[in-house]
Amino acid sequence: MKGVDTRTAAWPTLMVFLLPALAVYAAFTAYPVFRTFYNSFFNIADLDTARYVGLDHFRALAGDSTFRASVVNTMIWSFVAPIIDVGTGLLLALCLYAGVPFARFFRVAWFTPVLLSYVVVGIMWLWIYNYDWGVVNATLRATGLGALAHSWLGDTHTALAALMVTHAWKWAGFNMVVCLAAMHSLPSEVLEAAELDNCGWAAKLFHVVIPLLRPTLLNLYILAFIGKMKVFDLVFIMTDGGPLWATETVSTYVYKRAFNWNTFDLGYPSAIAVLWFLVVIAFVALLTWLFRQKDRLEF
Amino acid sequence: MFKSAPSARLPALAVMAALSSPAFAEQTVTMWSHWPDEVAKRTFVEERVKDFEGANKECKVKLQFIQKADLYTQAKTSVRTGQAPDIFWLEPDEIAFAQNGYLEPLDGIVNMANLEDFAKRSWTYNGKVYGLPVEAYTVELYYNRELLKKAGVALPASMQLDQAGFTEMVKKAVAAGITPFATGVSDRPYPGAYFLQEMLLRKLGPDDYKALLTGQLSFKDPRVADVMTWVKQLVDAGAYSKSFSTLKLGESHYYFHTNPGALMFPIASWYTGRAFVPPDKGGQPKDFPLGIMQYPAPTGAKCPECKTLAVGGSYVMYSRGKNKECAGKLLNSMATVENGNKWMQGVLLQTGVRTDPAKIQSIYAPYFRELQERNAQAKYFIGTPLHYMAGKCADAFSQVLNRAFPSGQMSVGDAAGQMDAACKA
Repeated sequence: MKGVDTRTAAWPTLMVFLLPALAVYAAFTAYPVFRTFYNSFFNIADLDTARYVGLDHFRALAGDSTFRASVVNTMIWSFVAPIIDVGTGLLLALCLYAGVPFARFFRVAWFTPVLLSYVVVGIMWLWIYNYDWGVVNATLRATGLGALAHSWLGDTHTALAALMVTHAWKWAGFNMVVCLAAMHSLPSEVLEAAELDNCGWAAKLFHVVIPLLRPTLLNLYILAFIGKMKVFDLVFIMTDGGPLWATETVSTYVYKRAFNWNTFDLGYPSAIAVLWFLVVIAFVALLTWLFRQKDRLEF
Repeated sequence: MFKSAPSARLPALAVMAALSSPAFAEQTVTMWSHWPDEVAKRTFVEERVKDFEGANKECKVKLQFIQKADLYTQAKTSVRTGQAPDIFWLEPDEIAFAQNGYLEPLDGIVNMANLEDFAKRSWTYNGKVYGLPVEAYTVELYYNRELLKKAGVALPASMQLDQAGFTEMVKKAVAAGITPFATGVSDRPYPGAYFLQEMLLRKLGPDDYKALLTGQLSFKDPRVADVMTWVKQLVDAGAYSKSFSTLKLGESHYYFHTNPGALMFPIASWYTGRAFVPPDKGGQPKDFPLGIMQYPAPTGAKCPECKTLAVGGSYVMYSRGKNKECAGKLLNSMATVENGNKWMQGVLLQTGVRTDPAKIQSIYAPYFRELQERNAQAKYFIGTPLHYMAGKCADAFSQVLNRAFPSGQMSVGDAAGQMDAACKA
């Protein structure tokens, strides 16, 4: 078949294969996104009687103190929590890589939270944080540290951190598995060379293993960052944004404005969603560009 | 409130009669109700539906019980797309459904003479009534008689302590290792504010209290500040449990009557819905020493006998529903004095449907007598704060007065400032 590119096909043939997927994409991804952009310029109490308001919703966002609080909280989640997630995952992976006893058991046990739904995780950790009989406070009391017993989710100073710990507990297993896979694919000659040079375990870890894992860790960080920018489930189940908006995130605020407030406007929550969509894209682009200075990302 | 009803006739019922002609095609009415976990209320609704289907062969009802938060989310989504059920459950703070044209006025469909006036007012918008007020309630202060004795407190004959006496009671309870209030706010935007709102109502009187709720009066008003300062003292003395923020409404019931137990439970009179079921289903223990005291009278109270009376769970009709005939007939069949009596007898809770108390019999008669005694001299204020607040103001009420202030995380000044910023007209 000289001179014929077997990878080309006629347009009709291509469309037969592409159309179903394109139709699903258009209906369930593209249209909702465009509709949300469109809605953000309207007051929409009813789909049939939308009123054009231009950029009013976006201007109102500038003076919305709850939105500001939710942005600050989401940013803290997005930048800090991935460090905890990835750091914990890396530590667990190192434990397994080093061959701790019962490694097989721990690998399954540490990965199990990833398989649990947020509802289950949220309820479990509500119990764990319970002031009267939760494991955290019970342990503190049993060890003579009862003075530190606290309403972890009820205090504006600790609620967000408590949620981040819960989130890290759920996702550490995923990061562990990815890190472990990356460790097993590290070039053995480099590690053996380090050993021949009498490199101690700490030096090997910090000067060989972690630098070699750097692209993987950055990929995990960015993936976690994107996830955190949209965090909703855990907050909704455990604190509903309280106390005093201390755990309100942009996603929970969008939901509340759309469905919980006894108002009917869909335009304002759409404006928040649009703005946040652009912010997330901008941050991901920025992080990707920053990290690409040294490492090629793979996502 | 519990007056007997006139044997009213509704001219519009002629429409219903016409609709019951043999030519009338069978319709399946879809109906969403809250109360999936409240046996007495659920049973009442199921029985009314069953009675209705028995008497109206041309109408079938597809009844679903859904938790309130989920029901609201689904209703708000589906009314916009024409896919809402023919009948669904709402409370009057969601009058925005009517304002946006999603609800069918019930005048001419339901026999209005069988509804209490206060209940009709709660559901009136532009002169039309939009909800069938099945549930009504007063905001009560329940207490555990045994724990009161254990704390060494005796109530006066009026069952109403003054400010100093109530403060003393809270301090004695804390000293005895008893949690004074069993409130939990994890899944509701209002129970944490019950005590404060009742104190504000008594201190200000109905007119100024309404002005406060509608943004016409500042939360920095000296009388409001007095009450908030006092409540803050109670909070700092340990009035609320440390698990206040994470307790759910249902769990707070259990906390009060079973484990670990609390002295008082400021809650609406729908306490019975969860408490008067068998203990293995989360109800209060058999022979639980339940009492009802009056809320205290704050110093300088303008209206110490004032009390909140509100319409709760109601049924509304979707304006774009396809089965309005049967839906209307169903709602009208529920709005009878006989059914009002059945509600009170079975659920032990007030209703916005007229009743005839003389015909009510129940094993909980002593409870019901006590509830009536506490309400005998009451001067009612109609509606809870959330019935008057919307949007940001309602959100601030939920976060500030319901959660942060009673949990001791805000000063009086900060709380008043936040409320004014969100609500002041």
